[in-house]
Amino acid sequence: MATGSTSTNISELKKIKLTSSEGTEFVVDKDVGEKSILLKNMLEDVGENDMAIPLPNVTGPILTKVIEYCTHHRDDFFISQDDDNKKTSDDIDEWDSEFCKVDQGTLFELILAANYLDIKPLLDLTCKTVANMIKGKSPEEIRKTFNIANDFTPEEEIQVKRENEWCEER
Amino acid sequence: MSNSRKRFASDCSDLCNSREQKRLHLIRSHPLGIKPWGNYYFDYTNSSNNNIKGDCRSPGLGKLAVLTDELLLEIFGLLSHRDLLNLQVTSRVLYCFAFFDDLWKTLVFERFKGNWQWRGNWRQTFLGKYYYHRDAYLSGINSVFSTISVVRLDNFYSDVLFQPFLCATTPMDEFIGKESIDRRANLSMDTFITEYAKPNKPVIITDVVTKWPAYKKWSMDYLVEKWGDVMFRAEAVDIKLREYARYAANNMDESPLYLFDKNFAKKCYGIENDYSVPEYFAEDFFKVLDENRPDYRWLIIGPSRAGSTFHKDPNLTSAWNAVITGSKKWIMYPPNILPPGVFTSDDEAEVTSPVSLMEWHLNFYKEAQKSQPRPLEGVCRSGEIIFVPNGWWHMVVNLEDSIAITQNFVGTHNLLNVLCFLRDKPDQISGVFWKK
Repeated sequence: MATGSTSTNISELKKIKLTSSEGTEFVVDKDVGEKSILLKNMLEDVGENDMAIPLPNVTGPILTKVIEYCTHHRDDFFISQDDDNKKTSDDIDEWDSEFCKVDQGTLFELILAANYLDIKPLLDLTCKTVANMIKGKSPEEIRKTFNIANDFTPEEEIQVKRENEWCEER
Repeated sequence: MSNSRKRFASDCSDLCNSREQKRLHLIRSHPLGIKPWGNYYFDYTNSSNNNIKGDCRSPGLGKLAVLTDELLLEIFGLLSHRDLLNLQVTSRVLYCFAFFDDLWKTLVFERFKGNWQWRGNWRQTFLGKYYYHRDAYLSGINSVFSTISVVRLDNFYSDVLFQPFLCATTPMDEFIGKESIDRRANLSMDTFITEYAKPNKPVIITDVVTKWPAYKKWSMDYLVEKWGDVMFRAEAVDIKLREYARYAANNMDESPLYLFDKNFAKKCYGIENDYSVPEYFAEDFFKVLDENRPDYRWLIIGPSRAGSTFHKDPNLTSAWNAVITGSKKWIMYPPNILPPGVFTSDDEAEVTSPVSLMEWHLNFYKEAQKSQPRPLEGVCRSGEIIFVPNGWWHMVVNLEDSIAITQNFVGTHNLLNVLCFLRDKPDQISGVFWKK
């Protein structure tokens, strides 16, 4: 993600209205809302319009977080991650990392919202955050972190562990 | 695939009947027991089924269960092989995710590029290469990593994890409709010009390639024997032909790695003597550019299911594609008709075909058969060559393991088009040295 320069020309100061799943109305600057490709395409399709855009999949608290993210990054020029580049999850900057310090439920809802609203940088950030919660953990630690049930039969567990143990660094 | 396959519409009714019967008997079972979502409904409403245990997705994923399978794969795609190996021991559902071979394919390319030995799937290939230095390697790797999974689920439903398996096991013969591309032999140059070159219309010519030395000599074994240690380009990696051949002979990829090499003539001494440009396509004004001409010829090798999704050829050139061994199915739309499932920017500079070849067939083939205008379809078999007129949309898929040569050219009837393209769309010119 690179940081661009201009943010203040007249068209970008226009406002748009969004309605969360509970029916709460949010008014945001158009350039902030357009960080969402879904909204950007919608606004292009409907043209000048004062109607609020309903977002039945996004709750108020999550929409607040999403708007916070998009406002902070309003001047960033989002570059889509090149497929040739190796994907890593250890390149998260400080503000983003603070932004993701939320409970698991909120984090997962943010992933779903970023995916639905098509905000690629937010989706990447939140997915990386979850990946980092898995990295370097033992199976038991992973189970604990996400409240996962160990549902292998004893025979299966012996077998799958054999593969895993063979690969242990020696 | 046998050549006696029924090819014509008149045969369609008994073809359909036999297909229906075949489908009833063909219950494809995923090696891990993963089932598509449709089965969930069936399993739960089938009263004779008393063993129903409930879906194991939620307990096996815990809080992660709120995320879709696509998003979970997005996250797991950021993990290392060590993390995937840990996930696989965490729960039965995570075992299935950690076994998803596309994740391992990415790891193989990231770490080893094209330098690996195929071991039946990408996971084994990665682990075999990674742990190659281990003493216990020979006795260890083969017994520790059996290709047959030790876990089999009967209550996990996932379209995303099932899809590659479905695509890799769906027989292509369900998608061979009426062949509508002209097939010609004894075609005079004049007839070719008036009926195909000028009207810019595809044709399969059946009696040219059969005269090439390549047609008599080439097979995968032959090429491996002569040039097995030569590196060839396969998508984003360079790989020895010998290793590629092992991969191609035995893989279950939804979209198999496809060898597409433009420098084959330089790398394989003498290979140019094995074929010659047919007279129909001999005129080529890009020859005047000599060494500076855009990339124009490729050796293409790939297993069945490998191919190219819908595209137009670069720089508005025309092309021919000659099948030496195997067979290729072509679906073509004229320049002004956008094929179903394909999206372009206004100037066609960017083309998006979001789905794999097999996915396209599963989702769009029937629709394409019904809608107007219908695409042209044809099968180019061993010893045959197809003329691909400029600007035509085409998708190509191998029905069998195939070896082919293709070449792009600019003839008289295409010259004006190409010149206008070069003048008006310089940003879209491709395959030239100053853009590499």
